[in-house]
Order: sequence, then structure tokens, then C-alpha cells
Amino acid sequence: MKKTVDVSIPLGPMHPCWKEPVRLKCETAGERVLRAEVELGYMKKGIERIMRGRPWQEVMFLAERVCGICSVIHNMVFIETMETISDIAVPPRAAYLRVIANELDRVASHILANFSYCYTIEHETLAMYLLNTREIVLDNLERLTGSRINTAYMIPGGVRFDLLPEDATAMLADLAKVEAEMRRHTRIFETGPLIALRSKGVGVMSREEAIRAHTVGPTARASGVEDCDLRLRHPTYRELGFTQVTRTEGDNFARIMVRFQEIFQSIDLIRKCIDRLPDGPIRGGGLCKAGETSYAGEAPRGELTYSIKTDEYGRVLDIAIRTPSVMNIEACAHSMITDATSIADVTSTFISSDPCIACNER
Amino acid sequence: MRSIVYYVREFLRPEWLRKFFLVKTAPLETPSYFKDYPSLTGKECTACFSCMMICPAPNAIAVLRRQDRWEPEIYRGHCIRCGLCVEACPEDVLASGRILDTTHRDRTAFSSWYHLEVDDTLCMRCGNCCVSCPVNRQVDPQLAGTGTSASDEVVMRVEGGRVRILHEEKCTGCKTCEINCPNRAIRVARMVEGVQEEAEA
Amino acid sequence: MSILQDIKNAVRSRSIHVSYVDVGSCNGCDIEVLACLAPRYDIEQYGIYVHNNPREADVLLVIGSVTPQWVDKLRDIWEKIPEPKVAVAIGNCPISGCVYARKGTLTTPPVENYIPIAASVPGCPPRPTEILSAILSVAPLIFKDYEEKQR
Repeated sequence: MKKTVDVSIPLGPMHPCWKEPVRLKCETAGERVLRAEVELGYMKKGIERIMRGRPWQEVMFLAERVCGICSVIHNMVFIETMETISDIAVPPRAAYLRVIANELDRVASHILANFSYCYTIEHETLAMYLLNTREIVLDNLERLTGSRINTAYMIPGGVRFDLLPEDATAMLADLAKVEAEMRRHTRIFETGPLIALRSKGVGVMSREEAIRAHTVGPTARASGVEDCDLRLRHPTYRELGFTQVTRTEGDNFARIMVRFQEIFQSIDLIRKCIDRLPDGPIRGGGLCKAGETSYAGEAPRGELTYSIKTDEYGRVLDIAIRTPSVMNIEACAHSMITDATSIADVTSTFISSDPCIACNER
Repeated sequence: MRSIVYYVREFLRPEWLRKFFLVKTAPLETPSYFKDYPSLTGKECTACFSCMMICPAPNAIAVLRRQDRWEPEIYRGHCIRCGLCVEACPEDVLASGRILDTTHRDRTAFSSWYHLEVDDTLCMRCGNCCVSCPVNRQVDPQLAGTGTSASDEVVMRVEGGRVRILHEEKCTGCKTCEINCPNRAIRVARMVEGVQEEAEA
Repeated sequence: MSILQDIKNAVRSRSIHVSYVDVGSCNGCDIEVLACLAPRYDIEQYGIYVHNNPREADVLLVIGSVTPQWVDKLRDIWEKIPEPKVAVAIGNCPISGCVYARKGTLTTPPVENYIPIAASVPGCPPRPTEILSAILSVAPLIFKDYEEKQR
């Protein structure tokens, strides 16, 4: 009998490259990876089970703690779902402040993803530069909301804290600094010959594969899938004028570059928000009512959906969360890692799809 | 070769050299706007339990009776530093970061209602809920062991073999009845609304 | 013997290898540990090196309330760390279970039931400075005069 598989190499659940536990089984012939399989289940906490029968002020914090990296968008999508159910109107100032918090969080998340990739391909200089820039972004998030991560900023009918004029000026000054530094880091990444060797043409996923695997977010946009950014349909983002970033290469390089480009776009959005910030109240009030709906928003990793059913006193009766990483991880294992020429490319390819295991398993 | 030149150029930038030789790690101070664990301001607590009722983390805050006054206590390791208790407190007993300043300036607050409902198909008419309710004990200390009461001012009482809720607005949302119910027949819903008063013209 | 011990003390105080393990948290404490690497906090100036290999670690940072999958694996990891070793609980989850310690949860906090914990850093998530000062304060307590204490 012909032997097709030399060695089956397990990576994880505890691996120097991975921040969270996940197991990746690679079947190899020599250095070539024939197949890869993702094994999940190390982080299952049963958040959806805990959420049932609880009012919004408790579910909001559980929703945030689905994922610590992109906690603001989990908060935002949950609260906007409750608002859709109960017909609560948001004051315009609060809507703009929500966008500011969300985009700051997106910048921090994208920088962290790119840091992980640079750390994985052992370009530690750029990784540390990126991590240092992230601190400035988190400072601004802290100035706005009072904490760095798990901010608990949005409530039904508004936001919790206002943005002071002096904080807005400080934020604009910091954003200029972040933008200047990110331009330099992007140039380092774009023109680095050694980075290109490790990134260009590695882990290619074609547009057809991306559509068939239902990938979302930067992973799909790097493969040239159009119209897959839900910010195009969000009313506040429409007012601000938002266009999607798309690249066509579909390799590791494109995925990281999409994130770099989206960082600049987010910085522009925050500037526009501060510029056009309307006056007025930041809380409209309103009680949660009975209803059932499904609502989606764009997380840093892609489309995030909350399906919620509530009773007449605003308690969550049933909830289902669909997070973006579910599709991206599977697509990564089946399309990108399969036929990788080297085991060393497996970790960097996996990290380039920005897997979030805590999101994935709840 | 190109990359070597590149790195030499990178590390010969004046900004990099200055940072490398001169700058030490900045003094790592916690900024004043960070929402730290709530601390007491010294104002008098009226034991309204608003902070306990809005707290999203289990066992994070408890309002305890000291010798002569009430005082909220925060448990580290349980508290998630969200600051909801600071915003919900009507008496400004707690302070954290600059939440108190912003709530005063923007005139924001949380208002909460409590709703009691009894599932008659599950209720065994034992009267545990009426007896355990702290408000009931205060209003009518003679409340009978079966939950019947002569007073009309109690939150709920057993009337004619079933629990009847008389004064829902007196409920403080403590969920003592829910914990003491052997059959999970009584449920307390805590409804919270974030409100802002109109700024004075 | 004491000269050798002095040398070991001096070397160990500037070379602390840290390994972190996520046993079911929200990720927030994870990235705060990563943020300690940033040049602003600069964990490596104190001689602390963060990587994820338990076999060369001195300090194990446990993050998260324990999920059923990790119950046996956490003990395995703890046994693989060479002596002297110490475990530090980061965040609320290993101490109390944070918001997950409720009806219907699948987690089984606290983590002290599985491995001995020397210190804990409360907060959800704790700031990087708090993590840093906790590691720096707990490490000398365990590693100073380790061999002499053994005898």
C-alpha cells in the first residue's frame, strides 16, 4: 500500500504563536501539508446559556465578554438589537459617539492582529512598533470610556459618557500621531523584502473559495469579495460616507494590508465624527419590550449577528450569536493551509486570518 | 543586502537613537479617568440597594450594616470595574474615576422599576416569599408564617389561597423571594432605563 | 554553598521566564499580558521573558475560569514546569469566575482547586502595570534562597 501521509503534526492547544488554545492537526508529506483540521472546544464557557432569563444590564456585560479584543462591537450589536426590538431611538450625538468608540476599538484590534502576524514571522521590530502604537489608541479609548478593554460604553437609547471638547482635541492630536506612525509601519511592511518572502503568495485563497466558505471581514475582502462590509448598511456610517477596502491577491500579504488600509480608513472616520459631532443629549431613555429579531453588525473580523427573543419586561428569553471567526477559521484550514509548502507557513497563515477562539466558542 | 542597509538606516534615525539612549520607561501612572474600584466618598448611604440591584457581576457589591450606618462594600476578585453602581447611586456614596463628575455635568442617571409575577400553576401557596420579603417584615412585623397579613401596605400576601401582589412599587428588587421560593414560581424582573434630564436653557 | 546560592539569587532575579495559559477567559486578560510586552511597559527590562513554553517557564500566568477540557491539561502543564515554579492568577476569572459564575455555566472556577496559586491579580481585566508589579513582587518570594529552603 502506498503511504501518503508521513507524519500528522499537532499544533497546540498551547503554542507559542497562539494567544488562545486551539488545536490544529496537519497531515504532512515531507514539508508539504496535505490536510489540516481544526479542533475546537477548549474555551466553551456556555455564555448563551448564562444569558437566558437575564435583563439587558447583565447580558450586556456577558456579550462584551464573548470576546475581549473586539468587546465594543459585541456591546454595540447587542444594544442595537435590543433597540430594534423595542423601537428605541438613539440621539444623533450618541450615534456618533458610538461610531468613535467602535472605530477606536477596530483600530486597536487590527493593530493587534498585525502585531501577531509580525510576531509569528519573527519580525519582532515591527511587531513591537505596532504594539507601542496600539497603546496610544487604547489611551484614547480609555479617555472616552474609562477603561482599556471591556468598556461597557453603550446602553439602550444612548451612551454612558460624553466626549468633552478638550478630550476631542487630545484625541485628534493622538490620531495624527497614530496615523504618522502607521504610515511608517505600513511602508516597512509593504517594502520589506524578507516580509514579502514569507507573505506574498503564501496561503492563497481564491475568490470562489472565499465565497463558497462564506468567509467574512478582512479575510474575504483580501480575496476580492465585494460588498461584504456591513458598515455600508449602517445608517450612521452611511451619513459619514464609507467605502469598502478590497484587495484581490488573497494571500497573507493582502490580508495584512487590508487591515493596514482599514486602520487609515477608521482614523478618517473618527476625524469626520469629531468634526460633525452634533450637540444634544447623549441618552434618550426607553424601556426594553417584547419581541424577536436578528441584527448584524461589522466586527473587526467580519459579520457579527445576534438573534434575540425578549419578554415584555426586557429579559432575554433566547439568544443566538454568530461570530465571524467560525467561518474564517474553517476557510483557513481548508483553503489556505492545505497545500502549504512548509510547516512554518502554517502558523503564520493561521494567524493572518485573525482567528478569535473566544468569539468562536463562547 | 538591501535589508541590511534598510536596518542600518532604520537604527540611525535620530528619533530612534534619541529614544534608545535617553528615554527610559515612562512613569507608569494610572490616569485619573480610569474607572478603578469604586471608593467611598463619605456621604451617607440610605440603604436603597440601587447599586446592588444594577451590579452585573455576581457577589461583587454588598450594602452592609456597620455599627451605626450602612456602607457598601466592594469585593475585589468579583468586581469588574464597570462603574454602573457609581452611576446608579442617587446619594453619590461611591466614586470611581471621573464618573461622578460626568454624571453631574450631563445630568445622566439610571432609573429602575421592578416587576413581580407569580406563576399560579407552579405556586404551592407556601407563603415563603411573603415571609422572606424584607419590605414585608418592615411594614408588618406580625406577618404570619403562612404569608397572611392584616396590613394592606405589604408588597404581597397570601389571600384566599393564592399570592396576591398589592404594592409592586415598594419592591426593592432584592430577589429574596425568588431565592426562597421552592418551586421558582415567583419571578422578579429588573427593568433599567438610562435617562438624561434636559439641560437648562 | 552560600556563594553559589547568592549567584543563583542574582541570576534568577533578572531572568524570569513567564508562560501564560488561557483556560477559558474572554481574551481581555490575554491581550493585557501581551500589552506588557509593549515598549511602553517594557516587561523585558526587568528580565521577564514572555513565551508560551511551560518546560522552560518559572512563572505560569493562569487566565480564565476553568473549562472542562482544561481540568486535566492544566495539571499536566503545571507538572511539566521545572522547580522552582509559581502560578499567578490573572483577572477575576481564576479567582471567582467573574460573570461566568452563574446558573447554566460550563466553567468550574476557582482555579485553586486544580493547581496551587501563589498570587492573584484582581480586575476585569487588570491593567498591565498591575500584572507587572504582581509578577515582580511574587517572583523573589519564591525564587530567593530556593535551595537553602529545600534543605
